[in-house]
Amino acid sequence: MITDLFNVKRWEAFFKVLPGQYIPGFLMTLRVALAGLLLALVLGIIFGLFSTSKVKICKLLSRVYVEFFQNTPLVVQVFFYYACLPYVIGGRVPKFTLGVIGVGIYHGAYIAEVIRTGIEAVPRGQFEAAYSQGFNYLQTMRYIVLPQTIKIIMPSLANQALNLVKNTSVLAMVAGMDLMYYADSWGSDRGYFVQAYLPCALMYFLICFPLAKLARWLEVRAKQTPVPKKRKEVA
Amino acid sequence: MKSKAMKTSAVLVAATMMMSAVLTGCGGSTSAPTTAPTTAPAAAPAAAAGDVSADVQKIMDAGVLKVGCKIDVPKFGLQNTGTGEMEGLEIDLAYHIAGEIFDCTAEEAKADKLVSFQGVTAKTRGPLVDNGEVDLVIATYTITPERKENWNFTTPYYTDAVGLLVLKESGITSIQDLNGKVIGVSQGSTSKEGFLAYCEENGFDVKPEFEEFDGYPSLAAALAAKNIDVFSVDRAILAGYNDDTTIILEDRFAEQEYGVVSKLDNKGLADLADGVVTGLKDSGKMDEMLKEWGIE
Repeated sequence: MITDLFNVKRWEAFFKVLPGQYIPGFLMTLRVALAGLLLALVLGIIFGLFSTSKVKICKLLSRVYVEFFQNTPLVVQVFFYYACLPYVIGGRVPKFTLGVIGVGIYHGAYIAEVIRTGIEAVPRGQFEAAYSQGFNYLQTMRYIVLPQTIKIIMPSLANQALNLVKNTSVLAMVAGMDLMYYADSWGSDRGYFVQAYLPCALMYFLICFPLAKLARWLEVRAKQTPVPKKRKEVA
Repeated sequence: MKSKAMKTSAVLVAATMMMSAVLTGCGGSTSAPTTAPTTAPAAAPAAAAGDVSADVQKIMDAGVLKVGCKIDVPKFGLQNTGTGEMEGLEIDLAYHIAGEIFDCTAEEAKADKLVSFQGVTAKTRGPLVDNGEVDLVIATYTITPERKENWNFTTPYYTDAVGLLVLKESGITSIQDLNGKVIGVSQGSTSKEGFLAYCEENGFDVKPEFEEFDGYPSLAAALAAKNIDVFSVDRAILAGYNDDTTIILEDRFAEQEYGVVSKLDNKGLADLADGVVTGLKDSGKMDEMLKEWGIE
């Protein structure tokens, strides 16, 4: 292991495949992560709002979505999309779409929960005050509640983004042409596993570390800026 | 869970073997006092010679030869689902090598369970032999110049070619229909390079896409779901996946030789295994074994 680590010949071999395999893989991972995050946010906001709404059917829909996707493994979900969707839609699912759907729907469920708890953390009084000023539901959400929610949920949202990036690596199992796929492919081809996986980890780190830093910074900031507190009931 | 159970059973098997080796001995056992083993390879038995290399001695001390083999390749290395026993040409070859190490016949090595088999895939076999989990890998392992830098290979015991398996309903009949199609290959295999070289040699203007999968079952599943158009691995392996919905195209390319693999440091073991393979080939026994397993 240690001698492998400093094997110059093997590192040379790695740098030869870096532009042709690792870089395209890295870009694929980045694209899937960005589009996946977008999808997850959209789904998360919709279902997060659903679960806090008073409409029964919306609430039920949201619960089913969240519970189902939170409580089944991502690998199973992606394998399902990969192996079963072609039978349903009668064609191949492009790898990019597969990845975006996979991590997007999965993390959408988590983000829905994050948003639900964020909204519930805003005191009822804020809603009541807004309604008393003549705001309707959407306006209340848009101008009063969500701006406060965002501050509360930012740290956990950044955490979700972090996990989403790492979870895109599940694509490697279905030949997803992502970073992990190329690392795995080259590694098993040549047997230079140290040189295959270490830079791969480093490249995931490159994406995730700034996100983690951001999450930490948001957490600190969230603690410093005041959020409305529940008032004591005045008799 | 499964691998843990397998590990435990492997340890048990190893322990039992050690005991039986101690109790009965192998070459010097009373059961076969008569003649030299009928299938004895040309090389002198290592155990009998005084100059046993350290790596071989270690296996002799352990009392069992650990071999990585395929468990899903009919005729080469296949686990019998009924009995759980391994069967195939490569399994027999392993017993011949074990016989050489423990100074007995291949039949005795089999009867005394002197080989413990572990299933490997194209991807796991390299690391497993490197970290000592197995002593030898006999698993349709193609010899390439690059791989020779990392591992010891014996003289080839079989020459195979890569083939192409397609769904009948796809209407693909030859390699020239494959432009723009997706070819699924196994991770850590040489199919892709072979395909490209074959097309170049024959002037075929075919530009397919390649996707790599970890293991043959996932390739078979991908073909069934039409996520790939072609399943391309060694023909020996393809034969195990061919059924009434698929056909193997006539094109064959990348003639490749299978060798027995050992860790680069284990020169003694490599020489011994090479001696066995050469011996079997020279004596014509290898041809008999191939015929016995119905391999062309």
